[in-house]
Amino acid sequence: MDAHVAQLQMQYRNYILSLYQQGFLDDQFTELKSLQDDGTPDFVAEVLSLFFDDCVKLVGNMARALDQTGTVDFSQVGANVHQLKGSSSSVGAKRVKGLCINFKELCEAKNYEGCVRCLQQVDIEYKTLKAKLQDMFNLEKQIVQAGGIVPQVDIN
Amino acid sequence: MENMESVSNEEGRTDQFPVGMRVLAVDDNPTCLRKLEELLLRCKYHVTKTMESKKALEMLREKSNMFDLVISDVEMPDTDGFKLLEIGLEMDLPVIMLSAHSDYDSVMKGIIHGACDYLVKPVSLKELRNIWQHVVKKNIGSYKKIIAPSRHLLPTSEYAPSGSGKRKEKADDSGDGDDDSDRDEEEDGSEQDGDESSNRKKRRVVWSQELHQKFVHAVQQLGLDSEFKYRLYLKKLDEGQQHNMSQDAFGSRDSSYFHMAQLEGLRDYSSTRQLSSSSLLTRSSLTKFHPSVYSSVNLQGSNSSSFIPPGHHQSSSSSANPFGTYHSPLLARSQNVNLSPLEPLQFPRSKCSPYMGDFKGIADRGISSSFLDSRMSFGSSSTSLPCATSNNLMLQENFGVSDGNQSCLNGLSSFPSHHSWQGNLKTTTRFPSHSLPLNHAFGQDQMTCGGIGLGDYNTSLVSADSHVGVLQCEPPFLGDFMQNMNTHKWEEQNCTMMNNTFGNVDYPLPVDNNMVFRDNNATRSKGVDDSLMMSPIEDSATTLNSRECVGNVTMMDPEMRSSTKLENDLVDNQHDVFDDIMNEMLKQDENNGMVSVAARFGL
Repeated sequence: MDAHVAQLQMQYRNYILSLYQQGFLDDQFTELKSLQDDGTPDFVAEVLSLFFDDCVKLVGNMARALDQTGTVDFSQVGANVHQLKGSSSSVGAKRVKGLCINFKELCEAKNYEGCVRCLQQVDIEYKTLKAKLQDMFNLEKQIVQAGGIVPQVDIN
Repeated sequence: MENMESVSNEEGRTDQFPVGMRVLAVDDNPTCLRKLEELLLRCKYHVTKTMESKKALEMLREKSNMFDLVISDVEMPDTDGFKLLEIGLEMDLPVIMLSAHSDYDSVMKGIIHGACDYLVKPVSLKELRNIWQHVVKKNIGSYKKIIAPSRHLLPTSEYAPSGSGKRKEKADDSGDGDDDSDRDEEEDGSEQDGDESSNRKKRRVVWSQELHQKFVHAVQQLGLDSEFKYRLYLKKLDEGQQHNMSQDAFGSRDSSYFHMAQLEGLRDYSSTRQLSSSSLLTRSSLTKFHPSVYSSVNLQGSNSSSFIPPGHHQSSSSSANPFGTYHSPLLARSQNVNLSPLEPLQFPRSKCSPYMGDFKGIADRGISSSFLDSRMSFGSSSTSLPCATSNNLMLQENFGVSDGNQSCLNGLSSFPSHHSWQGNLKTTTRFPSHSLPLNHAFGQDQMTCGGIGLGDYNTSLVSADSHVGVLQCEPPFLGDFMQNMNTHKWEEQNCTMMNNTFGNVDYPLPVDNNMVFRDNNATRSKGVDDSLMMSPIEDSATTLNSRECVGNVTMMDPEMRSSTKLENDLVDNQHDVFDDIMNEMLKQDENNGMVSVAARFGL
């Protein structure tokens, strides 16, 4: 096999493993990957697209809700957090999901400052993840372009 | 691989079930919905999805038999998920609720409103593989009619000589002694049956050939003496039904009794946590199941055998039957059941479905390690655990084990679940489709449903996108947070949203636009194609690997599955004792399913 391809594949493998190890991804992401096959070659990309769209939308909703001068509708914020939690857990975005859990509690406690801070963290976190996954897809593309096959990474 | 499109006749269609089962999936979260759709497609169901419950309601009302099952999120903005549930119930459709809420109250609310099941997000493939059982349950009458004549499934109060004749035939192979004992067993069974038929309904298991052979083999191994003792024990249990029979009901002392007592205690603990609404989890459902019987189930390969729809887990009233009253028609993936003689243990009258799963769980939790020892103490039983493990893969392949339901046993089985264990239909029987209420008009429906799904989804997606676009243009961001957000970038995102792959969002990091990802519409059509054509049969082996990564899989899963597999394969239309054993196992499994669900809810 081409040494370049092999090198790329190893790079890819290590990268994926590091994402898991650093807590960016969890087993739901693994399941997501498992649903992708020759019949649905872009499934993961598609679902992640939907997820990041969700993030943008929901973060925007929450920002607006928290920006109300006067009374903040925490239930509104909470509803969006709930949605985000659902999305993030579906795709295996572990850190985002973790933040949502905290966020939910803050909403229930009507902790304004806490919510604002948490929202900022969520914003940073999903964007970071997005960048990381972008890099992952780029690596995949490079492998394919070099004539190789994207390896299945066994997380265990 | 089963190609749905090649199935054009009635007979073929029914063979395929649950393949092609028509599911309506409703969730206002597009990420979750897309994933759910793919998971359902993996299970070879036919999927129609929509983000709007209003659309879903329209579809349901439009054609009453368009779908076999509805799976819906509970929290949706335009309509309460419970409304959908009500409609589904009106139409006698099974409705499964889906939610990220796992708290007790939410679950309770769902179940009280009539949901067949309540799944917590994120849903796993394993859980979805099992949902077809709810369709069967709703149509259990039809299934019974189909199955009973062809599978020697007897009415509960009948003793059919033909069945025993069959068994005698097999017994002949193994020798006179066994033959006699078999006959005696049968007679015992019939006596008990006759005595009890008026008092209760017994769920039956179908006694498969393999099962019988294994039984006979076990008896041979352990000797006539054991067999005799066993029957003596059964009679004594019969006599002392209403109260717990002590261990001295029988002659021998066995350390396993004490182990069983421990287990009994554990089960009591579990049972107190159960919801009263659960018919599967009453106190009486927890019986002391003899470890040897349980462990002696030798779970080895799965041979397709008759399919018996589960329908009868519901309780039977107390009876003289020493093992309680469960005769569940088990889906017979026949397994080699190695039944060693039962040591005397008591079986309190039980009304519920088999608890085997629960039982297993307790053992597997290691709380009663002595139980495991006792299981090992019976000669033939030593094979059970290793076999169970090796069966795991097989089960995966053929069953779609609902790991989510069976893992995480922690003694809390408070959630009423319908997770009776059933095997995979596709390897087994044939249902004359005319007697099935399910209308598998695949070709036509696929087109229609697929079309609807696509339309809805696209619409929803488009609207979601536009909505997002609107949001992006609004200025209201607060304080520091605002500084992190570049409104210019938001607008850029807005413009590219429709063609968005997530690479399009403008970030400080290099962005690779339109690289690997297609836009959503393109991939959507692929999704439609999938639903029309059915994706290739999933490689369950690889699935298993990824399942191992899935959080819900626990150590005990192999055992769980093996126990449930056992239930599936036991087929007996006459032999009360083993019917009951198997029913116990089923019950165990059901309880176990419930336990794990509850555990998942954080109870």
